[in-house]
Amino acid sequence: MGRRGRGFAMAMPPILLILGFVGLPIVTAGLYSLGHFGGLNSTTAAIGQHQHEATHWWGTLGAYQEVLTNARFLRDLVMTISVTVVATTIVMVLAIGIALYQRLSNSALAKGLAVLSIVPMFIPVVIGSWAILTFYSGTGFVRTVLAQVGIDGPVWAYTQTAIVIGSVWTSLPFAVLMVTSGVQAVPDALIDAARDAGASLARTAVGIILPIAAVPIIIAVTFTSIGILGSFTVPYLTGPNAPAMLGVDIANYFQAFNQPQQSIVMAFVVFALASAIGAFYVWANFRSASKAVK
Amino acid sequence: MWAERVSRNERMNAMALPRLSRSLAVVLALTTPITLAGCAKSASDVQNQQAGSTGGSTGGGAQSVTVLISADTNIQNLWEKKLIPGFTKANPDITVKTNFDLHGEHDAQNLAKLSAAVKGGKDVGFDVIDAGFVSQAADSDLLEPQSASTLPALKDVSPTLVEAGKGHGVPYRASSVLLAYNTKTVNAPPKTLADLLAWIKAHPGKFAYNSPKSGGSGQSFAATVLDANMDKAAADKLRTDVDKDAMAQWDKGFAVLKSLNPSVYGKGVYPNGNSQVLELLSSGQIDMAPVWSDMFVTAKTNGQIPETVDVTQIADPSFTGGASYLGVAKTTQHKEAAQKLLEYVLTPAAQADIAMEIAGTPVAPLDSLPAEVQKKFEGTDPKTMRPGYYAEVANDLNNQWDQKVPGQ
Repeated sequence: MGRRGRGFAMAMPPILLILGFVGLPIVTAGLYSLGHFGGLNSTTAAIGQHQHEATHWWGTLGAYQEVLTNARFLRDLVMTISVTVVATTIVMVLAIGIALYQRLSNSALAKGLAVLSIVPMFIPVVIGSWAILTFYSGTGFVRTVLAQVGIDGPVWAYTQTAIVIGSVWTSLPFAVLMVTSGVQAVPDALIDAARDAGASLARTAVGIILPIAAVPIIIAVTFTSIGILGSFTVPYLTGPNAPAMLGVDIANYFQAFNQPQQSIVMAFVVFALASAIGAFYVWANFRSASKAVK
Repeated sequence: MWAERVSRNERMNAMALPRLSRSLAVVLALTTPITLAGCAKSASDVQNQQAGSTGGSTGGGAQSVTVLISADTNIQNLWEKKLIPGFTKANPDITVKTNFDLHGEHDAQNLAKLSAAVKGGKDVGFDVIDAGFVSQAADSDLLEPQSASTLPALKDVSPTLVEAGKGHGVPYRASSVLLAYNTKTVNAPPKTLADLLAWIKAHPGKFAYNSPKSGGSGQSFAATVLDANMDKAAADKLRTDVDKDAMAQWDKGFAVLKSLNPSVYGKGVYPNGNSQVLELLSSGQIDMAPVWSDMFVTAKTNGQIPETVDVTQIADPSFTGGASYLGVAKTTQHKEAAQKLLEYVLTPAAQADIAMEIAGTPVAPLDSLPAEVQKKFEGTDPKTMRPGYYAEVANDLNNQWDQKVPGQ
């Protein structure tokens, strides 16, 4: 057995595990969404309601057609994408700001800010969501404080604003860690050289620090947006009944409406969106890997 | 618990083999927990088979029975603190295990598991089922048949309830949805559905019901409005079967529900779950809401709901209610023990426990129960409760409500 063969053999157990536990379920779910109800799908198919059974050898696109022309699904898709874009933007602005501040200033405030932004990582999402819900509810802290000075504060519980706040809350720690490590890796010499040549602080940040930290920033963007795109707990607990995010819709279709086929179709749509974002990640990884080799 | 069982097993092995060499005993003691813990499913299969072979024919020996509880924590407490201790006291040779699924979130999966197990003739891992999907499982022939001949106590239970079990489900407690209101702010609660709808519109933001998919109290409110806006025969059909033509009549009712959007809590916020509504009610954010009778009484006894909140039933039509059903998995290995457990649950002692612990309406005749219980449930007859929709119809109601009511 050659060196390559040995390497492959050593990688076999994880490959088999991933094929068995990730690949196979995806394939059976894909077949089920196309209306193949036999074999491993027979139990699910025996229970689901409003299913589209295969009419051709390859199946049927009935379920896809039903979901993709459903007004509610399209509305929820738009809502999911907009929440993802808005929350990811806020997370990245905050994370880059904190990272730059920490890089350029050694004050206790900079360190304190970075530590504080990581705190949500140690609080379970369910607890955090409940806290956000009660904080912004009709009788919550925000309204109570504002009422003291005679202002009628907003009720953000059960709104899209609450989902955005919750998503930022849960995604910020990872983005801060990722971006901070990238920004910290920029050598002092480069920053000093730029400053000596007369570049302003802003110009140093935009022209020197951020381009060098681009790869970790892109990775942070992809992970944050994929995470928010498929999130369930935050939108389920803090969001409105309608429009709902797709993570909530998928769970509803699977459990409360007993329409597993439609739920799987939606999962594939989310999967497609996440793959598109994932392409960025692969590209960034590839770029950093090709640099590292040299 | 798992570790405890394994270590007991280890000890038993060591005691059973005193003469074997020390090293062999050590090897056995080491391997037993590994094989047992290695695959939980196969381990329980082995246990189930053992219990089946020892208990089946003789009726003696150690038997075990597993109850699947798919409900809120009040039902879990009922089983674990009252019914199971009472049962094992009467039947010391039977051990009862529980398998708890909060809010029935895995109902679809558990039903799928049951259906797959029955199809393959295998034990499913739970024997007695206390879940909303019992009626669906009864229809699909996944449960042991039940009647007065297998369970003599059933002949004293109201025939309407027994019939709704379709020969497979055993009614064991009942509850209905009531209208809760804050007595401080509401002097005269609405008496009919029409009155209630008028009240909601006259008091914007002071009424809430949970989204039908997230709990039975909100589902009952939605179904009651739909029922009031379609012909009675069509509505009654939907209680026993799926009927597309009858469901087509829902549109008028959905329009009424939609028109409530600006008047309900938060201009169209529908909380997720029965308990979120109770919380809004107890914090005074709303003044009126549909609630489950048993959850309300329990919350009031615990002090989660202030004394100032009271309940009433509306008329024309009333909110829905009905019995909860138990079923025995068709491929159970512990049929005898499971059957004994069902018999126990219908005894006056267990029925009184249900009444006192969770304020569930007993299904056994009231005159067989203690005076305290009789007084508490005077006038509430589970037989007169208006039954809710058939499980599959309710799923479609959840779906269509989601499409047609919130955010429109």
